[in-house]
Amino acid sequence: MNTTSDSAAPAASEHAVRTDDLWKIYPQDPRPVEAVRGVDLAVAPGEFVVMAGPSGSGKTTVLNLLGGLTRPSRGKVWVEGREISALPDRVLAQVRLSRIGFVFQSYNLLPVLTALENAEFTLLLQGVPAAKRRRRVRRLFDRIGLEGIEDRRPRKLSGGQQQRVAVARAVLGEPALVLADEPTANLDSATADALLDVMEQLNRDNGTTFVFSTHDPRVMERASRLIRLVDGRVAEEIVSGGAG
Amino acid sequence: MSRSTRDIWWRMAWRNLWRNRRRTVLTASALSFGFVAAVLVMGFMNGMMQEMVSNGTEVVTGQIQIHAEGYRPERSIHGTMGGREGLDISALVAAAAAQEGVAGVAPRLYGGGLVSSGDETVGAVFMGVDPAREPGVSRFASVFVEGGMPGPGEVAVGAALAEKIGIAVGDEAVLVAPAADGSTGNDLFVVAGIYRMDLGGFDDSYALLELGTLQDFLAMDRTRIHEVAISVDRVRDADDVAERVAVAVAGLSPDLVTEPWSVFLGQLYFVVSLASAMNSIVAFIIFGMAVFGVANTMLLATFERRREFAVARALGTSGGALGRIVVYEGLLLGVVALAAGAVLAFLLLAHIHANPIDLSSFVGTYSFMGSAIRPLLTVEYSFQEPLVSAVALLGTGIVSALLPAWRAARLPPADVLADR
Repeated sequence: MNTTSDSAAPAASEHAVRTDDLWKIYPQDPRPVEAVRGVDLAVAPGEFVVMAGPSGSGKTTVLNLLGGLTRPSRGKVWVEGREISALPDRVLAQVRLSRIGFVFQSYNLLPVLTALENAEFTLLLQGVPAAKRRRRVRRLFDRIGLEGIEDRRPRKLSGGQQQRVAVARAVLGEPALVLADEPTANLDSATADALLDVMEQLNRDNGTTFVFSTHDPRVMERASRLIRLVDGRVAEEIVSGGAG
Repeated sequence: MSRSTRDIWWRMAWRNLWRNRRRTVLTASALSFGFVAAVLVMGFMNGMMQEMVSNGTEVVTGQIQIHAEGYRPERSIHGTMGGREGLDISALVAAAAAQEGVAGVAPRLYGGGLVSSGDETVGAVFMGVDPAREPGVSRFASVFVEGGMPGPGEVAVGAALAEKIGIAVGDEAVLVAPAADGSTGNDLFVVAGIYRMDLGGFDDSYALLELGTLQDFLAMDRTRIHEVAISVDRVRDADDVAERVAVAVAGLSPDLVTEPWSVFLGQLYFVVSLASAMNSIVAFIIFGMAVFGVANTMLLATFERRREFAVARALGTSGGALGRIVVYEGLLLGVVALAAGAVLAFLLLAHIHANPIDLSSFVGTYSFMGSAIRPLLTVEYSFQEPLVSAVALLGTGIVSALLPAWRAARLPPADVLADR
């Protein structure tokens, strides 16, 4: 077991992402909902971390907080040593663009773009020249079995293909951190395994840090560290011998 | 922003536009219809104004007039060009006629007096004309119901005047008028023609005489006239032609004043200017209404895509870039609508221009401010109105997109992704 509280907090820059007493409270009648309650978390570069827990345990909210998609009600988040919780929207968007990749449960590819255009989307926003973008996308597509589908729109792709494109989109910008919210939830076993293989491979080969939220035991099995959330709190952390 | 990034926003906007083809076609159709309506209404308005100006200037006045300074508005009998000495009328007419854009030039002399026959007498304006030149400027020669233009010793009168005093072609009428030398002119003239202009003032109180005849009758030298009326090839060029004529005749007498119709028919010019201003208001109303409809549709469209916007935000797209995509969509929608509307508007304008719509069964015929209005709904080709409408249409597309763009830019990504 390895918790962040069992030792003095390491310097922020030693972590891909770190949180300190993170709270998220949604104002609601009759009582505010405390979705995340004092979470302290530290994820080292290259880790393959899985957050598990029942529905409503706050997994997705923690991911959103880590990725700067929502602001904490209390506490702080650092990405590569930079505190992002109080950054202006515009700067936060830049941080997401350059340092954070997202993979969503329902793929969420942009339907008007082709597979290739979706995958290169973040590279394009980063200002990477077209030739270099295309080269990187094709190389990755070849690695993850997406060759030949570059010009297809998402509706012409299978769920597994769409999720692999989403993973490609998340990692191509070479982020410090990829946040994946239930990435296998809509996939059959074989497709889910294949996708996890891809992510493990990227983690291993590129040192990309992954933080998952999931119910899926197959994902949990591969984790280098498993964090169980219950009622918005970290209930348990287990270090295993998975990826990372 | 790099070119690639700009390209992808435009590409996304264009593809988004066609995701719901039916909705885009309907919305673009509404905008196209607005464009066609604006162009047509403005075209009709211009056609009507053009008709009014044509009638107002082609019936009698011409589009340009030369007078002696101070002649208008009193129109004194002594206010002849060149003073009491007069001037070389032939040279004046020739100088004006030589200018580019001039179609016809007619010298005129005016007097006022009485026309009598038997026991009947009416007041009348005596108009001395050059029978050969007058048809090039006014419609008198073409509206004779009996006889024709007067020669020496003859008079032509309007139908209403002839009826009042009971004269017909071939009869004699007595004309009495104060002459320029203080005497009273009094003579018998043979009725050479009766015209019907269908404009009250001209039919019941004008009498035409040959120019030399009236000069003699009013005891004036053959060098004296009050007016030179000029018609132009294109009414809209009247101001420019007037300037050229003014320069050309300036050397003939220092007291000459050359004016376009917009000066001597000031009221008519005011109405035409008002109509022109109305065109902008019409465009504003039509496209103002369209803004609400298009904005509503675009709001709906962006609401349906809020999840995509949230994903794009999560990936690091700025709110401003998302807003820009929506504005681009509005602009592209405008361009599509404009392309369709322009084709439709051109076809309709060409058809109506060639086949004016006859409204006589609804409104009959009428005159307004001395202008005979033909009940024909016609349109005039113009560059300005379609351009104004096109700018208004594209502006409508952009303005309609502003609120949806603002909302897209401000979507909270986590809430939207969680369907909260």
